[in-house]
Amino acid sequence: MNIKATLSNPKARAGLKAAFLALALLLAFLAGREFHELRHYEETVVSAPGLTERKMLSDYLASLEGTWMDSPVFVYDSGVPGGSVFVMGNVHPYEPATSLAAYIIMENIKVSKGKVFVLPQGNRSASTTGMLANAYPKFFSVPTSFGAKKYRLGDRGTNPLDQWPDPFTYVNYPSRQNLAYQDIRNMNRTYPGRPDGTLTERAAYAVMELIRREKIDLAIDMHEASLMYPVVGTYVAHDRSFDLAMMAAMTLTAGSFDMKCESSPKGLRGLSHREWGDYSDTLAVLMETPEPFIDRVVGPMTEQLFTEGKDEFLDVAARHGLTYVPYSYETGAPLWYRCGRHLSGALEAVAQMGAFFPEKEVLVEWPGYEELKEHDCGYFLHDPGKADPKLVFKQ
Amino acid sequence: MVFLEQAIHVLYFVFAGIIGWFLLRNLFKRASRPGIVYDIVYAYCVIPFLLRVLFIK
Repeated sequence: MNIKATLSNPKARAGLKAAFLALALLLAFLAGREFHELRHYEETVVSAPGLTERKMLSDYLASLEGTWMDSPVFVYDSGVPGGSVFVMGNVHPYEPATSLAAYIIMENIKVSKGKVFVLPQGNRSASTTGMLANAYPKFFSVPTSFGAKKYRLGDRGTNPLDQWPDPFTYVNYPSRQNLAYQDIRNMNRTYPGRPDGTLTERAAYAVMELIRREKIDLAIDMHEASLMYPVVGTYVAHDRSFDLAMMAAMTLTAGSFDMKCESSPKGLRGLSHREWGDYSDTLAVLMETPEPFIDRVVGPMTEQLFTEGKDEFLDVAARHGLTYVPYSYETGAPLWYRCGRHLSGALEAVAQMGAFFPEKEVLVEWPGYEELKEHDCGYFLHDPGKADPKLVFKQ
Repeated sequence: MVFLEQAIHVLYFVFAGIIGWFLLRNLFKRASRPGIVYDIVYAYCVIPFLLRVLFIK
């Protein structure tokens, strides 16, 4: 058979083109099925019985209603006058130890004085898409006594299906500081937001409104960071909350794990630790844990790397002094360690607020670093099948 | 402003559809670049536009 003759035959050539198209459509179907699964998968959380109210971000900015940025806020009010605390996870959903920490808080919280607001999915839209070109797993699982619980592994920025196109340069409002173009979808660069801005700016504005309207005394934004990034294993605190964060860092370092404390730079705009404090009366604190999964030098991006945090390349980097926190392959940075740091980090910040400002005291309990070290994360998650249906939420 | 944002958002989906349509048309009917490799390229490049228009990725 002469290939040249076949290719010059119009009918045979059209058939070949149709075959290429069919192959492309097959690839589109196979890939699309996976993207669709991540986009529409719902995580389950069983709230502790102390839940008093479930609000939505759209209660603070109506235009978010019906969008993928609308996200539930869970309120735990002791009924005893005291301060108020806001805890937020998953602003960057490729750092999902933060949403898992928020879920562990929600499933185990006991408030005996003051109020606690928990927003486990800060940027819900970003949790419905994966990082481009990084060959990430779509989900990670946490083993529990009732089986594995599956959670989404998302992106850093809002899903382009919900906010697109990106500009050539992103100009933060109202500072007018120029930032990287993709940061227009990065919620932690869009504070204080605006009610008539992009979807991400509107979600940021809704969070600001929550802090202002609910008169939040202490606002905690949970993140994870690569180990080769200087701001890792640290509190980043606004000017007014710097003393309490420094005390919390010293207390944690003396008793549990190394925790640094840094002051929020005044010249870097759009971040929670800066704008929450500047545009409201809250004491703003951001926390970072070490997450090897998002370091640039690591090997295959597997679920195991995410949950255990063990990587030999990072181990070599650490031995050459290239990481900003101690790291070894033997211990890694497992999920319980990262969640535990956030849980104890938040508890210590709440305790220090009560010490510095007795009128803002909040008395609250949830599992901390030592409990997670002993039992791991799954121990503190409850079986949705056996729980009161009124306390089971999907998102 | 919110309406304008949404209008631009929708417009870009329409653009994605138009570009996807042109790629499809050029796969079967084009004057330049007649090689078989370009058949593969045109067919493959339809994928992202298709997934975007279908609101999948």
